[in-house]
Amino acid sequence: MSVRYPIKDQVAFASAATTPFSKTSNERTQAGMAIDACVAAIRAAGLGAADIDGISGSGTSPEAKWMQSALGIPRITWWQNPSLTGTFATTIYEAMHAVYSGACSTVLCYHAAYRLPWQSRAAAADAMRRRVGELTGMMGAVDPETMGGSVGYTAWASRYLYEYGRRREDLGMVAINSRSNALRNEHAVINTPLTMDDYLQGRMIRNPLCVYDMDVAIDGADAFIVTTAERARDMALRPVLINAAASGMVANNDEDQLPGLHQHGQQIVVEEMKRRGDFWIDDVDLYYPYDGFSMLTLAWIENIGLCRPGEAGDFMREHWDWAQQRVLLRGRVPFNSHGGSLSEGATQGSGHIREAVMQLQGRAGSHQVDGASKALLTIGGFFFNAQALSLHTV
Amino acid sequence: MNTLTDEQLLERFPGTRIDHDNKAFYRGLLNRQLLIDRCGDCGHWFHPPRPICPKCWSRDIRPTAVSGRGHIHLLILLHQGPSAPGVRYDTPHPVATIELEEQSGLRFTSTIVGSDNAALKIGLPVELSWIDRGANPVPAFKLSGASQ
Repeated sequence: MSVRYPIKDQVAFASAATTPFSKTSNERTQAGMAIDACVAAIRAAGLGAADIDGISGSGTSPEAKWMQSALGIPRITWWQNPSLTGTFATTIYEAMHAVYSGACSTVLCYHAAYRLPWQSRAAAADAMRRRVGELTGMMGAVDPETMGGSVGYTAWASRYLYEYGRRREDLGMVAINSRSNALRNEHAVINTPLTMDDYLQGRMIRNPLCVYDMDVAIDGADAFIVTTAERARDMALRPVLINAAASGMVANNDEDQLPGLHQHGQQIVVEEMKRRGDFWIDDVDLYYPYDGFSMLTLAWIENIGLCRPGEAGDFMREHWDWAQQRVLLRGRVPFNSHGGSLSEGATQGSGHIREAVMQLQGRAGSHQVDGASKALLTIGGFFFNAQALSLHTV
Repeated sequence: MNTLTDEQLLERFPGTRIDHDNKAFYRGLLNRQLLIDRCGDCGHWFHPPRPICPKCWSRDIRPTAVSGRGHIHLLILLHQGPSAPGVRYDTPHPVATIELEEQSGLRFTSTIVGSDNAALKIGLPVELSWIDRGANPVPAFKLSGASQ
């Protein structure tokens, strides 16, 4: 069957920017961080407010209308704040499609992660955040007996260990890999080494997942400029072309009704990415298998075809650089080069995308992968947020 | 049988999103009946409640009592979690998704009572065992053959 994918290489990232990340007490606001990242992204592209004609913010970030006024962007023709039921990739997809359709030309994209009172003790101690939490209204009645939301990943991690007869050490490899990459990235919020002994002694949260299997809540923001590939070539930084992008979801996608480990959104994403894109894992310099939960990294490694189901832990050991305590595929391709959501900080995917864009523009600083020109990102989970992007420079 | 008005039903489940499509499920709980939606035309079972049969698109949805027998498909132990009457996390609280015997892939999530956590394993057969939480009955499960 011929592939209809006209948007291939037509839309590009012109820039990416971030703010400092924090997991301790601070008086930064979500809006303030979003603004900081957006100003940095616009300036990095060599643009001003009047050059922006579209705004795409994540559904949990300040609204597009607020950002337009705050930044004094005089005139826009398209805006959106898509739900974070997907990952942050949805926010980028919306911008891509708007640019390609002609609804606008140059889109400011952003996501600000902000710890609410129920996410950390430090956040709960902040009176201002308690007020934000009351107004956000996510503290409704929840019974313990649910697999809904983030609990679902624990449930299917448990099922994974059962079906394949694996041990928690496989999940630990993911946690250590992310931590070792974070140690190389001064932007990461966690900067202490993690050993397998540390992992196995980690405080259990929802057995079989412990504190090291779950991403670390932070305050911080990422922002991007998305525009046509043609316009990006006239901007200040090297354009990063979006070669392919995909989302996937199956019925039933309720966490406890999911058909199984072999039949969820990730398999659809992989099939579509292979149909749409020009390159795959063997061709890339960087790979980002999402690690909001450690289980997801194992699942992506298997689903993109690097090894058979149940063998991702063994695969990581086979490609492990013991001196650096991280995966280096073919001796050089890191997985989650920034430390991922587990150790750089939880960004619902914006950190993975920002890191890939910065790497491909040669702006990753201390942990730059020399000569990186292609990246594959497989972001999200099983239920309603399996997504992917392939990016390259030409 | 419980014949609460809609207003009275909502009062029994504060904070729960109850609507006309799922209210029969919650009324059933108050009668200690686990009612799962079944299609009146094609016989397909589905959960959670929906206003249409996902298989044949019939609107003839019949909340129907299940046998309560099944086996453990997903199993986790909460070391911390939402507060609920009678739920303590000093002993981890089991949460299990039970695949019900009525149909492959038909599942219901609850807790398991009457056994030490060490005895709980994916794949084990279970049966319905009601517990009380505050004023409301809650459908839980026990290992088949276990007491309580």
